[in-house]
Amino acid sequence: MQEKHYKEEKLKTELLTVSMGPQHPATHGVLRVEIKTDSEIVAEATPHLGYLHRCMEKHSENLDYRAVIPFTDRLDYLAAMNMELTYVMAVEKMLKTEIPVRAEYIRVIVSELQRIASHLLFFGTYAIDLGAFSPFLYVFQEREFILRIFEELSGARLLYNYIWIGGVWNDITDDQIKRIGTFCDTLDENLKKYHTLVGENKIFISRTADVGIINKDVAFDYGATGPILRGSGVNWDLRKNRPYGLYPKLSFNIPVGTGEKGKVGDCWDRYRVRVLEMHESIKIIKQCLAGIEAGPIMGKVPKIIKVPKGEIYMRTECARGELGYHLVSDGGKKPYRLKVKSSCFTHVSMLPAIAPGMMIADLVATIGSIDIVLGEIDR
Amino acid sequence: MKQQELGEITESPLTFRQYFTNIWDAIITTYKGMKITLKYVYGVKPVTVQYPEEREELPLNSRSRLFNDVENCIACMQCATACPVDCIYISAVKRDKDAPKVKTSSGSPVRLDLTMYTIDEALCCYCGLCTTVCPTECLTHTRDYEFSQYVLDGMKYDYLSPEIRAWRTRLIKK
Repeated sequence: MQEKHYKEEKLKTELLTVSMGPQHPATHGVLRVEIKTDSEIVAEATPHLGYLHRCMEKHSENLDYRAVIPFTDRLDYLAAMNMELTYVMAVEKMLKTEIPVRAEYIRVIVSELQRIASHLLFFGTYAIDLGAFSPFLYVFQEREFILRIFEELSGARLLYNYIWIGGVWNDITDDQIKRIGTFCDTLDENLKKYHTLVGENKIFISRTADVGIINKDVAFDYGATGPILRGSGVNWDLRKNRPYGLYPKLSFNIPVGTGEKGKVGDCWDRYRVRVLEMHESIKIIKQCLAGIEAGPIMGKVPKIIKVPKGEIYMRTECARGELGYHLVSDGGKKPYRLKVKSSCFTHVSMLPAIAPGMMIADLVATIGSIDIVLGEIDR
Repeated sequence: MKQQELGEITESPLTFRQYFTNIWDAIITTYKGMKITLKYVYGVKPVTVQYPEEREELPLNSRSRLFNDVENCIACMQCATACPVDCIYISAVKRDKDAPKVKTSSGSPVRLDLTMYTIDEALCCYCGLCTTVCPTECLTHTRDYEFSQYVLDGMKYDYLSPEIRAWRTRLIKK
């Protein structure tokens, strides 16, 4: 008689390996997450990077200081203004250039507008991740205004090359100031409306509250920054704690996750922190529009920039967290080394720590709430 | 074989009261959301631009297809040096001493004759660095954004050729 090959002792269960990405709508770019699943539950999640690697850091070693700015745009293409600003500030600090006051004001205005645009995009795509489509279209209307203003200012919609070493490229007109002012008022109203539409919705709350909890300890261990850290209940914002530019003059609050709908550090908290941050950015922009002074927009910069020998680490609060540039100069026309510290990279590295034990659908919600941009991770 | 142990998903049992408050919350919040959505259905006029039928004109600053007015070009090579992706190819020869003297519209003398001025627009990253360094302001970004091609070589613009000179009048910035 033939032996049964499916003896009861021989039967076993094993984990199923599933690849999420690189072309997956929920991973926001070309991120591949290798998931080991036990039926619907994630046992292990490993992010694989490198699909968008473009050798930005190496490239910039062969370009003069001005020509690096278009490359920094392409790191985080959704918050290009903040990327430029940090690099430019690093070079200016090495050169000891003085920047005109008007240029400083314009820089704060554009970088806060950019933060709003980036968070609006997060708002829309996060709603799509969780199954709501119409909020995406509403926030894109608002975002379109910001992009149009940027297009008038700088000439491009996404990759601006607007903030230059010594100042900004183009002056802002009174008409644009007025239009930004009215836009801020309407956005303040509309954001509350959008929040009732998405954030207060019961379905949204049950998808996000108590999901993907990042403790304070985990956030500290992995070096999380920005809205992720603030969502975990830590009051840390470089604009307040390590002020740069005009920020010491401006008054604004730092929203912190409180665990309103679930536990502190869940997806809903991170969502809420971003929405409140937009309100704070509006506040900052209004102060800047009121206080802007007439004057030049470019400081004195030599025609051929030669940065003195030395190194610097400059960091600012970007839309997604702390962005740092470590610039090493050997006294020549080109940077000797330009290392980018990306916040998204540290945030993605947190996935293996927080993913085990959650459902696959919750993993989508968690990746969405971390709000990654692969251009910044892979560089 | 040892089975992978996963934390069990524990949910506190629903009380009778919670069950109904959940339903009530769901109804109320969905109603509030639907009210906003319906307002958009009837109260807000559409903002979509039906592209091929209607076009928006780009702002004056917009950076799109490059155009070089070769008559004003003095072949100083500054644009090619400034370009971060090296997509501008220039070659020039020294102008004969006997040849009639030519000046650009801004008044600077032309000492070099261009033999090639080609920009590979497929490589161009539209950063605008080349236009800002141009001393005679002959290289400009136009507002012309419709220039798709069937072959990649079609994006290589030789600005000395007459057919490209022909779209000089097309959407050039004031």
